[in-house]
This record gives sequence, C-alpha cells and structure tokens, in this order.
Amino acid sequence: MKFWLGRTGSILLAFALCAGIQLLADQQSDFVQRLIVLAGLYVTLAVSLNLINGITGQFSMGHAAFYQIGAYTAGFIAMKFYAGAKLPPELWMILSLLTGAAVASVAGLIVGLPSLRLKGDYLAIVTLGFGEIIRIIVQNQPAIGGAYGLSVAPRFEMIWLVWLLAILCIAVCRNLLKTAHGLQFLAVREDEVASSAMGVNVTRTKVTAFLLGSAFAGAAGALLAHFEGFVSPKMFTMDVSFIIVTMVVLGGTGSITGATLAAIGLFFLPEKMRDLPNFPLGNLVATGIGIVIMVIGFRHIAANFHGKMVERVLRYLAILAIAVVIALVLGPIVSKLPTLGVPVEGAKLRMVVFAVTLIVLMLLRPQGIFAHHEFSWAWLRKVLRIDTDKKVTA
Amino acid sequence: MSVCLKLTEATIKFGGLVAVNKVSFELKQGDLFGLIGPNGAGKTTCFNIITGVYKPTSGEIEFNGKLIGGTPSNKIANLGIARTFQNIRLFKSLTVIENVVVGGFLRHKTGLFGAMAYLPAQIRETEKLRAEAMELLKIVDLADMASARSADLSYGMQRRLEIARALATQPKLLLLDEPAAGMNPQEKEELNVMVRRIRDQFQLTVLLIEHDMRFVMSLCERILVLDAGTEIASGPPDAIRNDPKVIAAYLGQPA
Repeated sequence: MKFWLGRTGSILLAFALCAGIQLLADQQSDFVQRLIVLAGLYVTLAVSLNLINGITGQFSMGHAAFYQIGAYTAGFIAMKFYAGAKLPPELWMILSLLTGAAVASVAGLIVGLPSLRLKGDYLAIVTLGFGEIIRIIVQNQPAIGGAYGLSVAPRFEMIWLVWLLAILCIAVCRNLLKTAHGLQFLAVREDEVASSAMGVNVTRTKVTAFLLGSAFAGAAGALLAHFEGFVSPKMFTMDVSFIIVTMVVLGGTGSITGATLAAIGLFFLPEKMRDLPNFPLGNLVATGIGIVIMVIGFRHIAANFHGKMVERVLRYLAILAIAVVIALVLGPIVSKLPTLGVPVEGAKLRMVVFAVTLIVLMLLRPQGIFAHHEFSWAWLRKVLRIDTDKKVTA
Repeated sequence: MSVCLKLTEATIKFGGLVAVNKVSFELKQGDLFGLIGPNGAGKTTCFNIITGVYKPTSGEIEFNGKLIGGTPSNKIANLGIARTFQNIRLFKSLTVIENVVVGGFLRHKTGLFGAMAYLPAQIRETEKLRAEAMELLKIVDLADMASARSADLSYGMQRRLEIARALATQPKLLLLDEPAAGMNPQEKEELNVMVRRIRDQFQLTVLLIEHDMRFVMSLCERILVLDAGTEIASGPPDAIRNDPKVIAAYLGQPA
C-alpha cells in the first residue's frame, strides 16, 4: 500500500513537472520552445544510447538511424491515416509514438541479431554503416519524399510529452539498474565469458539492450516529426549519431545522470555561443594560452597532489585564477600587436568552443564527468561525509 | 554413489593441435578430484569443453546422465555446473555483492518488464538475491567487503569471491581453475579447509586444477595427470606421487 502511494506520487510528480515545463515554454518565443523540445529529445537519445553503449558496453554509433526510423514512421502513418482516424491529438500522438518505437525496435533487432557477434571497434563500424545505409535508402525513396523530405501533416507542440518521454526513459534505465535484472547488462559489459558461465544469456541481453535503446530513439523520432512538421534525411546525418555518442562518453559511460546532464549541456552550449560578441584575435590567443596552462596545471595536481580534499580544491582554484588572469591581462596586451588586433566574429566560433570544451574535458577526465557514478541522495550524503571525515582526521 | 560427471574419450583439436586427446574420467557425487599436469597439458581446455566454452571435436561428456557436449555455457550453468577462472574474471567495476548477485540471477523468476517498472515482485526478488549473496560472502569470509569494488580486492580475496559467485548459481559440480594461484601458504591452508567445508555444506562434487602439489595432494582424494593433452596417470595422491611417468613429465626423463 505504501509502495503504491509512493509510486503514484512519483508518477504524478513527473506529470506535474512536464506540465510545468509546458507552462513555462508557452510564454517563450518559438525559438526557445524549439530548443526546449530538442533538448528533451537529446536527453532521451543520450540516455537510451547509454543503455546500449554505457550499460551493456556495446559500442553503437548508429543511433540517429533509429531516431530517423521513428520520425519517418510517424510521418508516414500521419500522412496515410491521420485525416481518416479522427482521433484527439494527444491520443494520436501517443499511438504514433508507440508505432515509431515499435518499428525502430524491429530495426534494432534486425541490426542487433547479426552484428552483436562483433565486439568493440568492429561493432562500431557496422552500426555506423547501418546508420548511413538507412539514411541513403530513405533519401532514394520518392514515396516518402526522397531527398526533399516529407512534410508531417498536423504539427503538435506537445512539449510536455517530449519531457515525459525523457523522464520515462531515465526512469526505465534507473529502475533496471536498481534490480538484479539490470546487473546482467552490466555483467555483459564487464566480461562476456564470465557472465555466460554464470548463466547469463549474453546474446539475449545484448539484443534486449538494443531493442530498448532503439525503441526510445524511435519514440523520440516520432515526437520530432510532429513537432517540426517536416522530416528530411539531412536531419539524421552521422553528425547526430556522433553528438549522441559524445554526450554518452562525456557524461561518463554507463552513468544515466551523466548522459542526461551532458545531453542538456552539450545541446545548450553551442546555442548560447550564438550570442558571443566580436573581440580582437589577441584575446582569443590569450584565452588559448590560459586554457593550456589550466590543463597542464590541473593534470599536474591530479597526478602529484594526494593531500586533503580542501587543499586540493584550493590548488585547483588557484590554477584556475592564474589561467583567468593570464587570459584577461595578456589579451589586451597582445591585441596591440598589428596582426593580432583583427576582430573575430564570436558567433562563428561556437563550434570551436564546443570542440575545445570536449578536448579539455577528455584530457582532464577521460572517464567522463560522472564516470560510472549515479546521482542519489545516499551518494550525496556519502560525498559530504567523506569531506567532513577528512577534516576531522586533519 | 551416483556418477556426476563422465568424460568418454573427450577430444578437441585446434587445427593440427590436439589439445585434449581421448581423455576419460568419471566423477562420483561428492568427489574431490584433482586435475594436474605441466603447463600446456590441456587442463583448462578440459574445463572449457565441460563448461561449453568449446565444443569437443569428438567424445562424450555426460553430466547427471545427460549428454552436454557442445551445450552453450549459460545453459550448462543452468544445469548445475559452475566454475572459476584461472586468470580471474570478475565483473571488475561491480561491487563484491553485485558480483555474487549476478551468479544467483539464473534462478530469477520475475520478468524484465516488471523490472523496468520497478514492481514489488522484482524488488523482493532483488532483496532475496542480495540476502543469499550476503550469506555466501560470509562463507568465503568477504562479508565486510560487500560494498567494495571487486577490482579493489586483494588477489586472494578475488579468488574467494570467484568461488562465492560460482556457488551463487547453486551448482552440483564446481570446477576450480587454479584456486590457490598467487596465495601465500597461510591463505592456501585456509582455502584447503574452505573447499572441504563448502563441499560438505552444499553437497558438491569438486573438480580442481592446481599446480601446487602439496595443496592438491592434501586436498584431493583422486587425481588425474595430463601431459600434452593425454592422460598419463590417475589414482589416489600416494600412487601419483610415486608414479615414474608423472615424475618424468614434471622433471624430464632421466638421462
């Protein structure tokens, strides 16, 4: 009884959260609304890929293909049946979401079964190829718009549903990992021979992960199709797959929390950079030098300093301060030089900033921001307690 | 006593190399059986054909009256054969107790969809498996390390954890591949006592590979010696110790 009360409570809370996001988004411009939707979709994509890549350890690089299959399925059935069905939009959207998920998971099964005999790099190449094959096949089908794309008849702006899907995806992965069922996925990631000797059906586990992951990507695709009112093969290029993989790796392979936060961060970072002002080239050079000093300093501390947590953090902050001061002081000075005074368009630098952020993070924390860890209240308490313990012993 | 495991002329060839050549032996219920031989004799390969990692080229493997040659590993585990590995294969980034829970997972009865919804039945099952795992950890003396990462354990502890993980599958036959490797004399002594104790407590049949002669001789009731894939001797420890062929295999032919 207590269990069901708690469960109903958390489901209601999820709905309330999504309704809140919808209410907030309604007051924003179309551009911001679109960002909120795409961020939600990327969270779903990253968390679902994390189930395949991070939790089950099967390095898949073709996630955009499942996204695309979901989107086109939704677009296609809307074109054929929406006018005749006369369903309320919410119900139609949920049906379309389920169909998108089902078709994408069938595709997941078709790729999964033969290619899961492969490991590591080889699997990555096959899934990458699969992603491109799907895109090119779609591009050459006049029935679904070919290279021009397909317009999806009713446009729905159900921002709440996008975030509900994201929350559902997170909840499913989290629940799996809390039960013994989830451990078999982790076991397969850690050691296939040993998990097989312990009675785990390795093939079935991998295929299940692929099915689930691609189903969520397909559902996200269906939402995208109805939100944009248009799908085209250009929306599902290799870049999209790479961005999703980057989100998973950067967040910490296997961490749901990491994938979620990295998806939001990596999605908004380049968007924020659009507002970057113009500045002289000298400042850019100085910032670069500052970043290099920061990376070298941080790595030096990580390798050589083994003292107390507080002193460690202080050292990091000191290095950071030095780097910032160098960037700020050196910038105006070198900008006086004739060639370095040329102005740079800040907005065009956004992909450079994106790339540099990735490089710096990978240098400083190759295991990803969260590594294998998850956020939980117990974890937070533990981290805080470790800190206080160390203060006491000092 | 009923026959637990029976190999009849089991043979496996890798290309031109005959790794295990017509090996036959029989384990009775409750036996403590040792498999020894110089490096490359085919001992681990023997384990691999019993546990379904490899399919034997010819010959029969019978477990509790059922032919199991070529059955996939996970099904063999379900039939009741569990093993440990020579080069420890733990799930390194999982905790000690999680490793053991994976071993017990083959007895799960609840469905995957329920696990995704985190339903009470799945929660109870997970708690039950964790409680059982904790009992096993007490037996191998790792209970206070339960929430440590398994990769952080010492070598001897990792070997004991492998045994606990294998026991979690509730096997009838336990295969131990060099369980004492890398242990100091005291740890070996404790392991000796522990293997006997778990054999009696769980009514197991134990087949083990080991290089430490003193350990094998004191623990096993019967021993089979392999050399270059072929059986060269078998019998009780005392007979093996004095067998000229065994001495020749280990120390070389007298000039």
